[in-house]
Amino acid sequence: MANVLDLRRRIRSVKNTRQITKAMKMVSAARLRRAQERALQARPYAQMISNVLESLVRRADQTDVMHPLLVEREEKNVLVLVIAGEKGFAGAFNSNIAKAAQSFINDRRGEGLNVDIETVGRKARDLVAKKYTAAVYEKKEERYDNDLATHYEVIRHRAQPIEVTGDHGTLLQKVDINDVSDLARSIVDRYTRAEIDAVYLVYNEFKSVIAQRVVVEKLLPIRKLGSHEITVAEEMTEEQKEAAGHAAKSAGVSLTTPEESAVESEAKKFGTAEVDYLFDQRPERLFRHLIPRYVTTQIFHALLESVASEHAARMTAMDAATNNAGDMIDAYTLQMNRVRQAAITKEIIEIVSGAAAL
Amino acid sequence: MADTNQSGLLTVRLVTPDRVLLDATAEAVELPSMSGYLEALYGHAPLLAELGAGEVRLHGGTSGDQKFFVAWGFVEVLPERVTILAETAMHPNEINVGEAKEELAEGEKLWNEAGDDGEKYDEANAITRQAEEKIASAEGKSH
Repeated sequence: MANVLDLRRRIRSVKNTRQITKAMKMVSAARLRRAQERALQARPYAQMISNVLESLVRRADQTDVMHPLLVEREEKNVLVLVIAGEKGFAGAFNSNIAKAAQSFINDRRGEGLNVDIETVGRKARDLVAKKYTAAVYEKKEERYDNDLATHYEVIRHRAQPIEVTGDHGTLLQKVDINDVSDLARSIVDRYTRAEIDAVYLVYNEFKSVIAQRVVVEKLLPIRKLGSHEITVAEEMTEEQKEAAGHAAKSAGVSLTTPEESAVESEAKKFGTAEVDYLFDQRPERLFRHLIPRYVTTQIFHALLESVASEHAARMTAMDAATNNAGDMIDAYTLQMNRVRQAAITKEIIEIVSGAAAL
Repeated sequence: MADTNQSGLLTVRLVTPDRVLLDATAEAVELPSMSGYLEALYGHAPLLAELGAGEVRLHGGTSGDQKFFVAWGFVEVLPERVTILAETAMHPNEINVGEAKEELAEGEKLWNEAGDDGEKYDEANAITRQAEEKIASAEGKSH
Protein backbone atom coordinates (compact mmCIF):
# COMPACT_ATOMS: atom_id res chain seq x y z
CA MET A 1 0.00 0.00 0.00
CA ALA A 2 1.18 3.47 -0.88
CA ASN A 3 2.36 5.57 1.99
CA VAL A 4 1.06 8.97 2.97
CA LEU A 5 3.94 10.81 1.40
CA ASP A 6 3.41 9.17 -2.00
CA LEU A 7 -0.27 9.98 -1.93
CA ARG A 8 0.35 13.56 -0.94
CA ARG A 9 2.76 13.94 -3.81
CA ARG A 10 0.26 12.51 -6.22
CA ILE A 11 -2.49 14.81 -5.01
CA ARG A 12 -0.24 17.78 -5.54
CA SER A 13 0.49 16.66 -9.09
CA VAL A 14 -3.18 16.18 -9.94
CA LYS A 15 -3.93 19.60 -8.47
CA ASN A 16 -1.39 21.12 -10.82
CA THR A 17 -2.97 19.33 -13.76
CA ARG A 18 -6.34 20.63 -12.70
CA GLN A 19 -5.04 24.17 -12.70
CA ILE A 20 -3.72 23.75 -16.21
CA THR A 21 -6.89 22.24 -17.61
CA LYS A 22 -8.93 24.92 -15.92
CA ALA A 23 -6.81 27.64 -17.45
CA MET A 24 -7.09 25.98 -20.86
CA LYS A 25 -10.83 25.87 -20.47
CA MET A 26 -11.03 29.57 -19.72
CA VAL A 27 -8.75 30.41 -22.64
CA SER A 28 -10.89 28.32 -24.97
CA ALA A 29 -14.02 29.99 -23.66
CA ALA A 30 -12.58 33.42 -24.44
CA ARG A 31 -11.49 32.31 -27.91
CA LEU A 32 -14.88 30.75 -28.50
CA ARG A 33 -16.60 34.02 -27.68
CA ARG A 34 -14.39 35.83 -30.14
CA ALA A 35 -14.90 33.19 -32.84
CA GLN A 36 -18.64 33.34 -32.34
CA GLU A 37 -18.58 37.09 -32.65
CA ARG A 38 -16.59 36.85 -35.84
CA ALA A 39 -18.88 34.29 -37.40
CA LEU A 40 -21.77 36.58 -36.57
CA GLN A 41 -20.18 39.64 -38.13
CA ALA A 42 -19.45 37.73 -41.30
CA ARG A 43 -23.09 36.85 -41.80
CA PRO A 44 -24.45 40.02 -43.46
CA TYR A 45 -21.96 39.80 -46.32
CA ALA A 46 -22.71 36.15 -47.02
CA GLN A 47 -26.41 36.83 -46.85
CA MET A 48 -26.17 39.75 -49.25
CA ILE A 49 -24.06 37.90 -51.78
CA SER A 50 -26.51 35.06 -51.98
CA ASN A 51 -29.42 37.52 -52.17
CA VAL A 52 -27.98 39.40 -55.10
CA LEU A 53 -27.35 36.11 -56.85
CA GLU A 54 -30.88 34.93 -56.29
CA SER A 55 -32.38 38.14 -57.51
CA LEU A 56 -30.18 38.08 -60.59
CA VAL A 57 -31.22 34.56 -61.38
CA ARG A 58 -34.85 35.58 -61.09
CA ARG A 59 -34.41 38.53 -63.39
CA ALA A 60 -32.07 37.20 -65.99
CA ASP A 61 -33.17 35.04 -68.83
CA GLN A 62 -32.66 31.42 -67.81
CA THR A 63 -30.61 30.57 -70.84
CA ASP A 64 -28.19 33.37 -70.08
CA VAL A 65 -27.36 32.31 -66.57
CA MET A 66 -25.72 29.05 -67.45
CA HIS A 67 -22.52 29.10 -65.51
CA PRO A 68 -19.95 26.32 -65.40
CA LEU A 69 -20.40 26.04 -61.65
CA LEU A 70 -24.08 25.26 -62.01
CA VAL A 71 -23.52 22.47 -64.49
CA GLU A 72 -23.99 19.03 -63.05
CA ARG A 73 -21.83 16.31 -64.47
CA GLU A 74 -21.65 12.66 -63.71
CA GLU A 75 -19.40 12.34 -60.66
CA LYS A 76 -16.16 10.64 -61.58
CA ASN A 77 -13.60 12.70 -59.71
CA VAL A 78 -14.60 14.14 -56.39
CA LEU A 79 -12.75 16.68 -54.30
CA VAL A 80 -13.22 16.67 -50.58
CA LEU A 81 -12.02 19.53 -48.41
CA VAL A 82 -11.47 18.29 -44.87
CA ILE A 83 -11.46 21.01 -42.21
CA ALA A 84 -10.14 19.90 -38.84
CA GLY A 85 -8.30 21.55 -35.98
CA GLU A 86 -4.83 22.87 -35.53
CA LYS A 87 -4.24 21.35 -32.09
CA GLY A 88 -5.33 18.44 -29.98
CA PHE A 89 -6.87 18.49 -26.49
CA ALA A 90 -10.26 19.00 -28.03
CA GLY A 91 -12.04 15.80 -27.10
CA ALA A 92 -13.52 13.97 -30.07
CA PHE A 93 -13.41 17.03 -32.33
CA ASN A 94 -10.65 15.86 -34.65
CA SER A 95 -11.49 12.17 -34.51
CA ASN A 96 -15.11 12.86 -35.45
CA ILE A 97 -13.96 14.75 -38.51
CA ALA A 98 -11.54 11.95 -39.31
CA LYS A 99 -14.30 9.38 -39.04
CA ALA A 100 -16.66 11.34 -41.26
CA ALA A 101 -13.97 12.02 -43.85
CA GLN A 102 -12.83 8.43 -43.89
CA SER A 103 -16.30 7.02 -44.34
CA PHE A 104 -16.96 9.56 -47.10
CA ILE A 105 -13.78 8.52 -48.89
CA ASN A 106 -14.55 4.83 -48.46
CA ASP A 107 -18.08 5.28 -49.80
CA ARG A 108 -16.87 7.10 -52.91
CA ARG A 109 -14.16 4.54 -53.45
CA GLY A 110 -16.80 1.83 -53.13
CA GLU A 111 -18.65 3.44 -56.02
CA GLY A 112 -15.45 3.41 -58.04
CA LEU A 113 -14.88 7.17 -57.99
CA ASN A 114 -11.57 8.96 -57.77
CA VAL A 115 -11.16 11.12 -54.71
CA ASP A 116 -8.92 14.15 -54.30
CA ILE A 117 -8.32 15.27 -50.75
CA GLU A 118 -7.41 18.74 -49.56
CA THR A 119 -6.88 19.44 -45.94
CA VAL A 120 -7.16 22.47 -43.71
CA GLY A 121 -5.53 22.30 -40.29
CA ARG A 122 -2.63 20.27 -39.02
CA LYS A 123 -4.77 17.47 -37.63
CA ALA A 124 -6.43 16.90 -40.98
CA ARG A 125 -3.07 16.78 -42.71
CA ASP A 126 -1.70 14.26 -40.22
CA LEU A 127 -4.73 12.15 -40.88
CA VAL A 128 -4.27 11.75 -44.60
CA ALA A 129 -0.56 12.35 -45.12
CA LYS A 130 0.47 8.85 -44.06
CA LYS A 131 -2.31 7.00 -45.82
CA TYR A 132 -2.46 8.60 -49.22
CA THR A 133 0.08 9.85 -51.69
CA ALA A 134 0.37 13.38 -52.92
CA ALA A 135 -0.75 14.24 -56.42
CA VAL A 136 1.97 14.65 -59.02
CA TYR A 137 2.10 17.75 -61.16
CA GLU A 138 4.25 18.49 -64.13
CA LYS A 139 5.10 22.04 -64.97
CA LYS A 140 5.48 22.70 -68.65
CA GLU A 141 7.15 25.78 -69.92
CA GLU A 142 6.82 26.98 -73.46
CA ARG A 143 8.71 29.89 -74.84
CA TYR A 144 7.77 31.66 -77.99
CA ASP A 145 8.04 35.00 -79.76
CA ASN A 146 11.82 34.72 -79.65
CA ASP A 147 11.79 34.00 -75.94
CA LEU A 148 9.88 37.18 -75.18
CA ALA A 149 6.90 35.40 -73.77
CA THR A 150 6.52 32.29 -71.72
CA HIS A 151 3.50 30.11 -71.37
CA TYR A 152 3.18 27.94 -68.29
CA GLU A 153 1.01 24.94 -68.05
CA VAL A 154 0.63 22.60 -65.12
CA ILE A 155 -0.41 19.09 -65.95
CA ARG A 156 -1.69 16.63 -63.44
CA HIS A 157 -0.86 12.96 -63.72
CA ARG A 158 -3.21 10.88 -61.68
CA ALA A 159 -1.47 7.76 -60.44
CA GLN A 160 -3.69 6.67 -57.55
CA PRO A 161 -7.47 6.67 -57.17
CA ILE A 162 -7.09 8.61 -53.94
CA GLU A 163 -4.62 11.47 -53.88
CA VAL A 164 -3.89 14.46 -51.71
CA THR A 165 -3.92 17.58 -53.85
CA GLY A 166 -3.06 20.13 -51.24
CA ASP A 167 -2.85 21.28 -47.68
CA HIS A 168 -3.79 24.66 -46.29
CA GLY A 169 -2.10 24.52 -42.95
CA THR A 170 -1.97 28.19 -42.18
CA LEU A 171 -5.51 29.01 -43.18
CA LEU A 172 -6.96 28.39 -39.74
CA GLN A 173 -4.59 30.65 -37.86
CA LYS A 174 -6.13 33.83 -39.16
CA VAL A 175 -8.95 32.85 -41.53
CA ASP A 176 -8.24 35.71 -43.89
CA ILE A 177 -10.70 36.27 -46.73
CA ASN A 178 -7.93 36.76 -49.29
CA ASP A 179 -6.42 33.37 -48.51
CA VAL A 180 -9.83 31.75 -48.65
CA SER A 181 -10.44 33.49 -51.94
CA ASP A 182 -7.25 31.98 -53.39
CA LEU A 183 -8.36 28.54 -52.31
CA ALA A 184 -11.83 29.07 -53.75
CA ARG A 185 -10.38 30.25 -57.03
CA SER A 186 -8.20 27.19 -57.33
CA ILE A 187 -11.19 24.94 -56.64
CA VAL A 188 -13.39 26.81 -59.11
CA ASP A 189 -10.65 26.55 -61.73
CA ARG A 190 -10.37 22.82 -61.33
CA TYR A 191 -14.12 22.42 -61.49
CA THR A 192 -14.36 24.52 -64.64
CA ARG A 193 -11.58 22.51 -66.26
CA ALA A 194 -13.52 19.35 -65.33
CA GLU A 195 -10.58 17.99 -63.35
CA ILE A 196 -13.15 17.44 -60.62
CA ASP A 197 -16.90 16.92 -60.95
CA ALA A 198 -18.07 17.66 -57.45
CA VAL A 199 -16.72 19.34 -54.33
CA TYR A 200 -17.63 18.45 -50.78
CA LEU A 201 -16.70 20.01 -47.46
CA VAL A 202 -16.31 18.00 -44.26
CA TYR A 203 -16.41 20.25 -41.22
CA ASN A 204 -17.91 20.94 -37.84
CA GLU A 205 -20.98 23.10 -38.07
CA PHE A 206 -21.55 25.44 -35.17
CA LYS A 207 -24.97 26.75 -34.22
CA SER A 208 -24.36 27.15 -30.52
CA VAL A 209 -22.33 25.44 -27.80
CA ILE A 210 -24.91 22.70 -27.46
CA ALA A 211 -25.82 22.47 -31.13
CA GLN A 212 -22.87 21.38 -33.22
CA ARG A 213 -22.57 18.63 -35.74
CA VAL A 214 -20.13 17.12 -38.18
CA VAL A 215 -21.47 17.66 -41.66
CA VAL A 216 -20.60 16.73 -45.21
CA GLU A 217 -21.73 19.61 -47.38
CA LYS A 218 -21.88 19.74 -51.13
CA LEU A 219 -20.18 22.90 -52.37
CA LEU A 220 -20.19 22.35 -56.11
CA PRO A 221 -22.10 22.10 -58.36
CA ILE A 222 -24.39 24.76 -56.91
CA ARG A 223 -27.88 23.40 -57.04
CA LYS A 224 -29.78 25.88 -54.95
CA LEU A 225 -28.44 29.27 -54.04
CA GLY A 226 -28.36 30.40 -50.46
CA SER A 227 -28.88 26.99 -48.94
CA HIS A 228 -26.43 24.51 -47.53
CA GLU A 229 -26.76 21.14 -49.10
CA ILE A 230 -25.89 18.76 -46.30
CA THR A 231 -25.48 15.16 -47.37
CA VAL A 232 -24.39 13.60 -44.08
CA ALA A 233 -24.74 14.99 -40.58
CA GLU A 234 -23.63 13.58 -37.27
CA GLU A 235 -25.53 15.21 -34.40
CA MET A 236 -24.33 15.51 -30.82
CA THR A 237 -25.58 12.94 -28.34
CA GLU A 238 -27.59 14.00 -25.28
CA GLU A 239 -24.62 13.19 -23.11
CA GLN A 240 -22.30 15.42 -25.13
CA LYS A 241 -24.85 18.21 -25.05
CA GLU A 242 -25.03 17.99 -21.28
CA ALA A 243 -21.26 18.07 -20.93
CA ALA A 244 -21.02 21.03 -23.29
CA GLY A 245 -23.81 22.82 -21.45
CA HIS A 246 -22.02 22.34 -18.14
CA ALA A 247 -18.75 23.61 -19.54
CA ALA A 248 -20.36 26.66 -21.08
CA LYS A 249 -22.17 27.53 -17.89
CA SER A 250 -19.10 27.34 -15.71
CA ALA A 251 -17.08 29.37 -18.24
CA GLY A 252 -19.77 31.99 -18.66
CA VAL A 253 -20.50 31.39 -22.34
CA SER A 254 -24.07 31.84 -23.44
CA LEU A 255 -25.84 28.76 -24.76
CA THR A 256 -28.25 30.44 -27.08
CA THR A 257 -27.49 31.76 -30.51
CA PRO A 258 -27.51 35.54 -30.40
CA GLU A 259 -30.46 37.26 -31.98
CA GLU A 260 -29.97 38.74 -35.37
CA SER A 261 -28.96 42.37 -35.48
CA ALA A 262 -30.73 45.12 -37.38
CA VAL A 263 -28.06 45.08 -40.05
CA GLU A 264 -28.50 41.38 -40.49
CA SER A 265 -32.23 41.51 -40.91
CA GLU A 266 -31.75 44.30 -43.42
CA ALA A 267 -29.10 42.21 -45.13
CA LYS A 268 -31.81 39.70 -45.86
CA LYS A 269 -33.61 42.33 -47.90
CA PHE A 270 -30.51 43.33 -49.83
CA GLY A 271 -30.98 43.23 -53.57
CA THR A 272 -34.49 41.89 -53.28
CA ALA A 273 -36.49 45.12 -53.41
CA GLU A 274 -39.39 44.75 -55.78
CA VAL A 275 -38.20 47.43 -58.12
CA ASP A 276 -36.60 47.38 -61.49
CA TYR A 277 -32.94 47.89 -60.92
CA LEU A 278 -30.76 49.66 -63.37
CA PHE A 279 -27.80 47.47 -64.07
CA ASP A 280 -24.42 49.02 -64.51
CA GLN A 281 -23.33 45.94 -66.38
CA ARG A 282 -25.33 43.23 -68.00
CA PRO A 283 -26.88 40.97 -65.36
CA GLU A 284 -25.18 37.95 -66.87
CA ARG A 285 -21.82 39.55 -66.40
CA LEU A 286 -22.58 40.45 -62.80
CA PHE A 287 -23.71 36.93 -62.28
CA ARG A 288 -20.54 35.45 -63.69
CA HIS A 289 -18.44 37.52 -61.33
CA LEU A 290 -20.58 36.85 -58.32
CA ILE A 291 -20.55 33.08 -58.45
CA PRO A 292 -16.87 32.58 -57.48
CA ARG A 293 -17.34 35.04 -54.62
CA TYR A 294 -20.29 33.07 -53.47
CA VAL A 295 -18.13 29.94 -53.32
CA THR A 296 -15.55 31.90 -51.33
CA THR A 297 -18.07 33.00 -48.74
CA GLN A 298 -19.34 29.44 -48.40
CA ILE A 299 -15.85 28.17 -47.58
CA PHE A 300 -15.18 31.19 -45.37
CA HIS A 301 -18.34 30.44 -43.45
CA ALA A 302 -17.37 26.79 -42.99
CA LEU A 303 -13.94 27.80 -41.69
CA LEU A 304 -15.32 30.28 -39.17
CA GLU A 305 -17.83 27.75 -37.90
CA SER A 306 -15.18 25.09 -37.63
CA VAL A 307 -12.94 27.40 -35.60
CA ALA A 308 -15.77 28.22 -33.21
CA SER A 309 -16.58 24.55 -32.96
CA GLU A 310 -13.00 23.63 -32.17
CA HIS A 311 -12.84 26.08 -29.29
CA ALA A 312 -16.18 24.85 -27.98
CA ALA A 313 -14.97 21.26 -28.15
CA ARG A 314 -11.76 22.14 -26.34
CA MET A 315 -13.64 24.04 -23.69
CA THR A 316 -15.91 21.04 -23.09
CA ALA A 317 -13.02 18.59 -23.04
CA MET A 318 -11.04 20.72 -20.61
CA ASP A 319 -14.07 21.16 -18.38
CA ALA A 320 -14.46 17.39 -18.22
CA ALA A 321 -10.76 17.02 -17.48
CA THR A 322 -11.00 19.58 -14.68
CA ASN A 323 -13.93 17.70 -13.16
CA ASN A 324 -12.12 14.39 -13.43
CA ALA A 325 -9.08 15.87 -11.73
CA GLY A 326 -11.35 17.05 -8.90
CA ASP A 327 -12.79 13.56 -8.51
CA MET A 328 -9.32 12.08 -8.50
CA ILE A 329 -8.15 14.48 -5.79
CA ASP A 330 -11.15 13.52 -3.66
CA ALA A 331 -10.44 9.83 -4.10
CA TYR A 332 -6.75 10.22 -3.28
CA THR A 333 -7.48 12.40 -0.26
CA LEU A 334 -9.83 9.73 1.08
CA GLN A 335 -7.25 7.04 0.49
CA MET A 336 -4.56 9.14 2.11
CA ASN A 337 -6.66 9.71 5.20
CA ARG A 338 -7.37 6.00 5.43
CA VAL A 339 -3.71 5.11 5.19
CA ARG A 340 -2.83 7.67 7.83
CA GLN A 341 -5.57 6.41 10.13
CA ALA A 342 -4.43 2.82 9.61
CA ALA A 343 -0.90 3.79 10.59
CA ILE A 344 -2.17 5.53 13.75
CA THR A 345 -4.34 2.57 14.67
CA LYS A 346 -1.45 0.20 14.14
CA GLU A 347 0.77 2.28 16.38
CA ILE A 348 -1.84 2.39 19.15
CA ILE A 349 -2.30 -1.39 18.95
CA GLU A 350 1.44 -1.81 19.23
CA ILE A 351 1.65 0.45 22.26
CA VAL A 352 -1.36 -1.15 23.93
CA SER A 353 -0.14 -4.70 23.33
CA GLY A 354 3.37 -3.70 24.43
CA ALA A 355 1.91 -2.29 27.67
CA ALA A 356 -0.16 -5.42 28.17
CA ALA A 357 2.92 -7.60 27.83
CA LEU A 358 4.68 -5.83 30.66
CA MET B 1 -40.07 60.20 -53.90
CA ALA B 2 -42.55 59.97 -51.03
CA ASP B 3 -40.73 58.72 -48.03
CA THR B 4 -41.00 59.02 -44.28
CA ASN B 5 -37.38 60.01 -44.16
CA GLN B 6 -37.47 63.71 -44.94
CA SER B 7 -33.88 64.42 -44.06
CA GLY B 8 -32.64 63.82 -47.58
CA LEU B 9 -29.78 61.78 -46.25
CA LEU B 10 -28.69 58.44 -47.57
CA THR B 11 -27.95 55.58 -45.24
CA VAL B 12 -24.61 54.18 -46.31
CA ARG B 13 -23.35 50.77 -45.33
CA LEU B 14 -20.01 49.31 -46.22
CA VAL B 15 -19.95 45.57 -45.67
CA THR B 16 -16.88 43.36 -45.97
CA PRO B 17 -16.68 39.60 -45.60
CA ASP B 18 -15.34 40.18 -42.08
CA ARG B 19 -17.75 42.74 -40.72
CA VAL B 20 -19.86 45.81 -41.28
CA LEU B 21 -17.17 48.44 -41.62
CA LEU B 22 -19.33 51.51 -41.87
CA ASP B 23 -22.89 52.40 -41.06
CA ALA B 24 -23.43 56.11 -41.55
CA THR B 25 -25.41 58.75 -43.37
CA ALA B 26 -24.36 61.04 -46.18
CA GLU B 27 -25.73 63.54 -48.64
CA ALA B 28 -23.82 62.03 -51.52
CA VAL B 29 -21.67 58.99 -52.13
CA GLU B 30 -19.09 58.51 -54.83
CA LEU B 31 -18.65 54.94 -55.90
CA PRO B 32 -15.93 53.36 -58.05
CA SER B 33 -17.99 51.13 -60.29
CA MET B 34 -16.48 48.81 -62.86
CA SER B 35 -17.23 51.26 -65.62
CA GLY B 36 -16.09 54.39 -63.79
CA TYR B 37 -17.02 56.54 -60.84
CA LEU B 38 -20.66 57.24 -60.18
CA GLU B 39 -22.27 59.44 -57.60
CA ALA B 40 -25.45 58.64 -55.77
CA LEU B 41 -27.67 61.25 -54.15
CA TYR B 42 -30.83 60.85 -52.15
CA GLY B 43 -33.62 59.56 -54.37
CA HIS B 44 -31.39 57.83 -56.88
CA ALA B 45 -33.12 55.19 -58.98
CA PRO B 46 -32.51 51.61 -57.87
CA LEU B 47 -29.22 50.44 -59.27
CA LEU B 48 -27.07 47.38 -59.00
CA ALA B 49 -23.47 47.73 -60.08
CA GLU B 50 -20.20 45.91 -59.84
CA LEU B 51 -17.43 47.64 -57.94
CA GLY B 52 -13.97 48.06 -59.34
CA ALA B 53 -11.03 49.29 -57.33
CA GLY B 54 -10.96 52.82 -56.01
CA GLU B 55 -12.30 55.07 -53.31
CA VAL B 56 -15.73 55.31 -51.83
CA ARG B 57 -16.27 58.90 -50.74
CA LEU B 58 -18.99 60.11 -48.46
CA HIS B 59 -19.97 63.76 -48.53
CA GLY B 60 -22.02 65.65 -45.99
CA GLY B 61 -24.05 63.70 -43.51
CA THR B 62 -23.71 63.41 -39.78
CA SER B 63 -20.30 61.81 -39.77
CA GLY B 64 -18.70 64.32 -42.13
CA ASP B 65 -16.66 63.44 -45.17
CA GLN B 66 -15.11 60.00 -45.17
CA LYS B 67 -13.03 58.02 -47.60
CA PHE B 68 -12.49 54.31 -47.93
CA PHE B 69 -10.41 52.30 -50.30
CA VAL B 70 -12.43 49.42 -51.72
CA ALA B 71 -11.78 46.73 -54.27
CA TRP B 72 -14.10 44.28 -55.99
CA GLY B 73 -17.62 43.73 -54.95
CA PHE B 74 -21.11 44.99 -55.58
CA VAL B 75 -23.19 47.95 -54.73
CA GLU B 76 -26.90 48.32 -54.40
CA VAL B 77 -28.33 51.82 -54.61
CA LEU B 78 -31.87 52.40 -53.44
CA PRO B 79 -33.53 55.83 -53.16
CA GLU B 80 -32.70 56.17 -49.47
CA ARG B 81 -29.97 53.62 -48.99
CA VAL B 82 -26.63 52.60 -50.44
CA THR B 83 -25.15 49.25 -49.54
CA ILE B 84 -21.63 48.47 -50.65
CA LEU B 85 -20.37 44.91 -50.60
CA ALA B 86 -16.62 45.00 -50.91
CA GLU B 87 -14.18 42.14 -50.83
CA THR B 88 -11.45 44.47 -49.62
CA ALA B 89 -12.12 47.71 -47.80
CA MET B 90 -9.89 49.85 -45.65
CA HIS B 91 -9.14 53.35 -44.57
CA PRO B 92 -6.64 55.11 -46.87
CA ASN B 93 -4.19 55.56 -44.01
CA GLU B 94 -4.28 51.84 -43.28
CA ILE B 95 -2.79 51.12 -46.67
CA ASN B 96 0.72 49.77 -46.68
CA VAL B 97 2.28 51.45 -49.71
CA GLY B 98 5.30 49.15 -49.77
CA GLU B 99 3.02 46.13 -49.91
CA ALA B 100 0.93 47.74 -52.63
CA LYS B 101 4.04 48.34 -54.70
CA GLU B 102 4.95 44.69 -54.35
CA GLU B 103 1.49 43.77 -55.54
CA LEU B 104 1.93 46.07 -58.49
CA ALA B 105 5.17 44.34 -59.43
CA GLU B 106 3.48 40.98 -59.00
CA GLY B 107 0.63 42.07 -61.29
CA GLU B 108 3.06 43.19 -63.95
CA LYS B 109 4.96 39.95 -63.69
CA LEU B 110 1.75 37.96 -64.13
CA TRP B 111 0.87 40.12 -67.11
CA ASN B 112 4.16 39.26 -68.76
CA GLU B 113 3.68 35.58 -68.08
CA ALA B 114 0.07 35.40 -69.17
CA GLY B 115 0.95 34.37 -72.71
CA ASP B 116 -2.16 33.80 -74.77
CA ASP B 117 -4.46 33.09 -71.85
CA GLY B 118 -7.16 35.76 -71.78
CA GLU B 119 -8.27 34.97 -68.24
CA LYS B 120 -4.79 35.34 -66.89
CA TYR B 121 -4.57 38.75 -68.52
CA ASP B 122 -7.77 39.79 -66.83
CA GLU B 123 -6.48 38.58 -63.51
CA ALA B 124 -3.16 40.35 -63.96
CA ASN B 125 -4.96 43.54 -64.94
CA ALA B 126 -7.20 43.30 -61.90
CA ILE B 127 -4.22 42.97 -59.57
CA THR B 128 -2.37 45.81 -61.23
CA ARG B 129 -5.36 48.10 -61.11
CA GLN B 130 -6.07 47.36 -57.48
CA ALA B 131 -2.45 48.05 -56.56
CA GLU B 132 -2.38 51.30 -58.54
CA GLU B 133 -5.60 52.52 -56.98
CA LYS B 134 -4.33 51.54 -53.57
CA ILE B 135 -1.18 53.60 -53.99
CA ALA B 136 -3.14 56.54 -55.36
CA SER B 137 -5.57 56.37 -52.48
CA ALA B 138 -2.83 56.19 -49.88
CA GLU B 139 -1.14 59.22 -51.36
CA GLY B 140 -4.41 61.07 -51.57
CA LYS B 141 -4.21 61.42 -55.33
CA SER B 142 -7.12 59.25 -56.29
CA HIS B 143 -9.34 60.77 -58.95
